Amino acid sequence: MHELLNHPAAQAGLIPFLAGLAAAELFQRARLSGLAIIAGFAATVYLASDFDFYPLNASRKIILSGLACAALALIIDVLRLRWVGPLLLLLGGATTIWTALRILQQQEPQLMLQWGAACAAYVAILIWGMDKLLDQEPVRAASAGTALGIGTGGAALVGASGLLGQFGLALGSAAAAHLLIQLYTNQTLQTGRVFTLPLAMIAGLTGCIAVLGAKLPWYALIVLAGIPLAARLVPIPGGSVRIQSLLLVPLTSVFAIAAIYLTWRVAGDVPF
Amino acid sequence: MLKSAFTVLAISAALPLSALAADSYTIDPSHTYPHFSISHLGFSTMQGRFDKTSGSITLDRAAKTGLVEAAIETTSISTGFAKRDEHLRGPDFFNAAEFPSISYKSTAVHFKGDVPASVDGNLTILGVSKPVTLKIDAFNCGINPMSKKDTCGAAASAQIKRSDFGVKYGLPAIGDDVKLVFEIEAIKN
Repeated sequence: MHELLNHPAAQAGLIPFLAGLAAAELFQRARLSGLAIIAGFAATVYLASDFDFYPLNASRKIILSGLACAALALIIDVLRLRWVGPLLLLLGGATTIWTALRILQQQEPQLMLQWGAACAAYVAILIWGMDKLLDQEPVRAASAGTALGIGTGGAALVGASGLLGQFGLALGSAAAAHLLIQLYTNQTLQTGRVFTLPLAMIAGLTGCIAVLGAKLPWYALIVLAGIPLAARLVPIPGGSVRIQSLLLVPLTSVFAIAAIYLTWRVAGDVPF
Repeated sequence: MLKSAFTVLAISAALPLSALAADSYTIDPSHTYPHFSISHLGFSTMQGRFDKTSGSITLDRAAKTGLVEAAIETTSISTGFAKRDEHLRGPDFFNAAEFPSISYKSTAVHFKGDVPASVDGNLTILGVSKPVTLKIDAFNCGINPMSKKDTCGAAASAQIKRSDFGVKYGLPAIGDDVKLVFEIEAIKN
């Protein structure tokens, strides 16, 4: 058992999937199944890293931001604060700058501004894109979350960071657990901002730090940013959630695979 | 004339002995390489080194005091395999984009006779400072026959746990104990 818990694939795949599955089931009646995302992510952090925040480096800031976002989103969902959307974009941008600050400070002023602005914009776009999916069928957010997590994690893993890779893959696994319940029951399952906000924030920050601190090419982020948009725009037939999933999952997965492929072309094989 | 000479003597006597006898050196980056070794999954011991180190050393062998300051560029890591070096520079290990240098600053130099035997100091990795004592295994000073400059050389070693500095990726499969060996040359200023 100890060996299984120490295995990186179990830490980033199986365990967050099971944690997500349990959380989605447990909080279904409270209409907070979206807690699956932070449950899966927290399980991975517990096993692969820790909740020690000293020194507060970029990876630890991602963990802290993810947990804070989940708490904030929980309040927003419980109080049904629908008007906070634009504020969340500003929050995403500011959190990105805070997370990447020490890396940005090592750069020339012009590069610092360019990278800081681009990263903040990327995270804000992901938050906006995932937030827009809340107005549509929950299966769209779950499919987009699965692809965004796996795409970000896979690309970060290939781009030479195992830990950032695990962060992204944990999101994908937890979102896949949420999606699986919908597939199995053929019924929609509530997502909410408690699903979309931490997912977009953690995936966005992970992608940015993998670009700035490792070898993830910046244009892979453009491909990943297309996932929520694709999940929103593709027409799907009403009725069967299973058929909707079977249409959405392959489509969004194309973007995830493309991002991983682009990173592999630059970084080559995984060095570990 | 006699009065001036007396004044010089009086000032010299008033100065601390260390100020007169202390020699300061600049680390020679082309002959200074911090090496490390670490267990890889229990199968082998991987060796690596950092190619860029700078700093200064002050030694007062009469007063048996000294000061060592060194900065190591984390991007200069080299283990003989480029893909692994990329990974070691990344966020999982030395996080070079965020923490471009490792530093060591001494707090005390201990002598055996007139030769330094160990150095107490603080090693800072990933922004975490921990006390580390460097044992000096070899020490020699003299005139470099090529450059004709006063030069000192030393080999120092220490053992640390990487987890103490927050470098926890891959534990316990990749070893926690890291052996450090510093080969240092410094040229007198």
